[in-house]
Amino acid sequence: MNRVSLFIPCTVDLLLPEVGVASYQILKGLGLAVDYHREQTCCGQIFFNAGYWGRAARLAKHFLKVFGEDEFIVSPSGSCVSMVRHHYPRLLEGEAAWLRLAQEVSLRIFELSQFLVDVLKITDLGASYAGKVAYHESCHILRALAVSEQPKRLIRSTAGAELVPLAGATDCCGFGGEFALDFPDISEAMIQTKADKFIASQADLLVLSEPGCLLNIGGYLKRNHPGRKAIHLACLLARPGEG
Amino acid sequence: MRSKTRQFTQAASAELQNERSRRFLSNFPHLFLVRREAALATFSDPQEAQDYAASIRREAVARLPLLLEEFERNASARGARVLWARDAEEACNLVVKMARERGIVYTAKGKSMLTEEIGLNEALEEEGVEVFETDLGEFIAQQLKRPPFHIVGPAINVPLEEIRDIFLAKAGLLEPTLDPVKLGYAARLFLRDKFHHLRLGITGVNMAIAETGGIVNVENEGNIRLAKGVAPTQISLMSIDKVVPTFSDALFLLRMLCRNCTGQKISSYVTFDHGPRRPGDVDGPDELIIIIVDNGRSDFYPDAKLRDALRCIRCGACLNICPIYGKIGGYPYGFAYSGPIGQILNPLLLGFEQTRDLYHACTLCGACRSVCPAGIDHPGLLVYYRCLEVERKNTGTMKVSGRGLLFALLAFGLSKRGRLDLGVKLLRSWVGDKIRDGKPGGLGRFLGGWLRKRDLPPLARKTFAERWKDISNR
Repeated sequence: MNRVSLFIPCTVDLLLPEVGVASYQILKGLGLAVDYHREQTCCGQIFFNAGYWGRAARLAKHFLKVFGEDEFIVSPSGSCVSMVRHHYPRLLEGEAAWLRLAQEVSLRIFELSQFLVDVLKITDLGASYAGKVAYHESCHILRALAVSEQPKRLIRSTAGAELVPLAGATDCCGFGGEFALDFPDISEAMIQTKADKFIASQADLLVLSEPGCLLNIGGYLKRNHPGRKAIHLACLLARPGEG
Repeated sequence: MRSKTRQFTQAASAELQNERSRRFLSNFPHLFLVRREAALATFSDPQEAQDYAASIRREAVARLPLLLEEFERNASARGARVLWARDAEEACNLVVKMARERGIVYTAKGKSMLTEEIGLNEALEEEGVEVFETDLGEFIAQQLKRPPFHIVGPAINVPLEEIRDIFLAKAGLLEPTLDPVKLGYAARLFLRDKFHHLRLGITGVNMAIAETGGIVNVENEGNIRLAKGVAPTQISLMSIDKVVPTFSDALFLLRMLCRNCTGQKISSYVTFDHGPRRPGDVDGPDELIIIIVDNGRSDFYPDAKLRDALRCIRCGACLNICPIYGKIGGYPYGFAYSGPIGQILNPLLLGFEQTRDLYHACTLCGACRSVCPAGIDHPGLLVYYRCLEVERKNTGTMKVSGRGLLFALLAFGLSKRGRLDLGVKLLRSWVGDKIRDGKPGGLGRFLGGWLRKRDLPPLARKTFAERWKDISNR
């Protein structure tokens, strides 16, 4: 394989573009031809989760039109990949042609760390970071995609980085999209616990692979623990200047 | 049971401020999970065991009407009287009528979620029948007049000091003590006394076996065994979903139920009852009455997705792993069932309108689904409820919301790249630097909950799409 198609989720596109850039740099740095379809918008997850299945299905079709021909689709978001992989076929089950396309695409879309480790069989990207790193196991990456070892292997292979245990690493950070807006008291209690455990881990950096969690955890740390930082795995692994 | 599901957010916020609840919740669910995992490790392949249990439950629910009829036939052949109740009122009326006919003044009950659901205690007390809950936790909750905190441990959060005080006042505790064994013993003496002349025992049912017509109860205190064994009349109430196809299915589910519930391989007492006392039996009731309660379940049964809610075996594993239950405990869910299974069941039993918070208060993290021995896809169901809610709004039975308009606008903006680009431009000029310093500004209305304790990155000066040209030309 020598071509991959980058799917940049709307959260990354609009709020965290550096995550997209880092993803591009990683893939390009591996000698792949990286496509970015300008027409892409959003996988529809927010609509699906909120109950607007009709709108989600329309966005699913848009996505399938844009990405339908690609051999490998890679995205720095586990929940968006899970949306395409697991929920598109259900949303489109009544429309045979779309369903077939959704099923095909579901086999060709990968979360970034999964693509690097499972498909490309690469764990050492030549990245370096001097310090202790904790890894937050985002819910959709861990449970919907069953991806857990892959990002940790990538962190362990980073020169100078020491992966330290994080208590409650698999506990939800309290993002949940609309949940965080509708139930701020509960959401804040959850993110507070996550931040406390990160601080207790003595790690210098919290690494994760999900833009939603990054907005939540990063936003909380920035406000309440300005010295502490959470970054997307792609930003840890990318070597700026390459690609 | 009167529902308080509308007060979810309020009650949750109160529990979040409750230092004791938070301290308790930061330990106990985790301990349950550790025990559960250790117990499941005794299976050669725990995941396979979980899948097998799920397939039993799937089959049971798929064949529910037939299995119920088979159960009724076989239970009747064994001498049990099987009655059907359409709803809570009918079920309560049946019990009340039978108590009245038999001149019952008090009854001893085994722990039963169904009787919480249908409000049986209240109905009996209104008729002047005194009700003694005989499960220790349920007894404490009853004395304190509190709803169950956890479907398995209803009073697991109550501090010893409170138990001491209520036992001194109402349960014959003679001297103040904080020794749990002494407190338990006081309750035992008090409750044992109720069994001596008991004429009506009331229990729930963990499983009803279609193949044999037997009912199964799982417990650790022996009180259900007594409630079933010593009184001349036994009434056991079950919801329609309690039926399983065969005896061996029941035995396998039993292994999963105990492991998932308390981390035991088997509970201290498991009783199988097939009909009333036969000549020569040492104990057992003279009459066994089994009431099969629907209470709204067959209304949603035709929907193949919603039907999955009926798979639950009430082990409580989903509560213990839920990160939200782990913050707010069981009270906010406002009805008999709490935690993820409460979020699934309460809306189906009470209607979507008064339970909206329950099916929205979920981050869809999927932890519950990962441990469920019945194979319930909780997040999938909650999202489906949200979809049904939106559909009902669209057909005009509920009024159009600001939320609907917002999502419509968002969907329009994301439907084509050109529109998204335009949206970004408009948003940029409107938002400007409003949230750059983490303050809500004009966006507070939409993002207030977020920005209270969190920053939000500013709208990118250049979106990824806008950067692409520079990047790819490098």
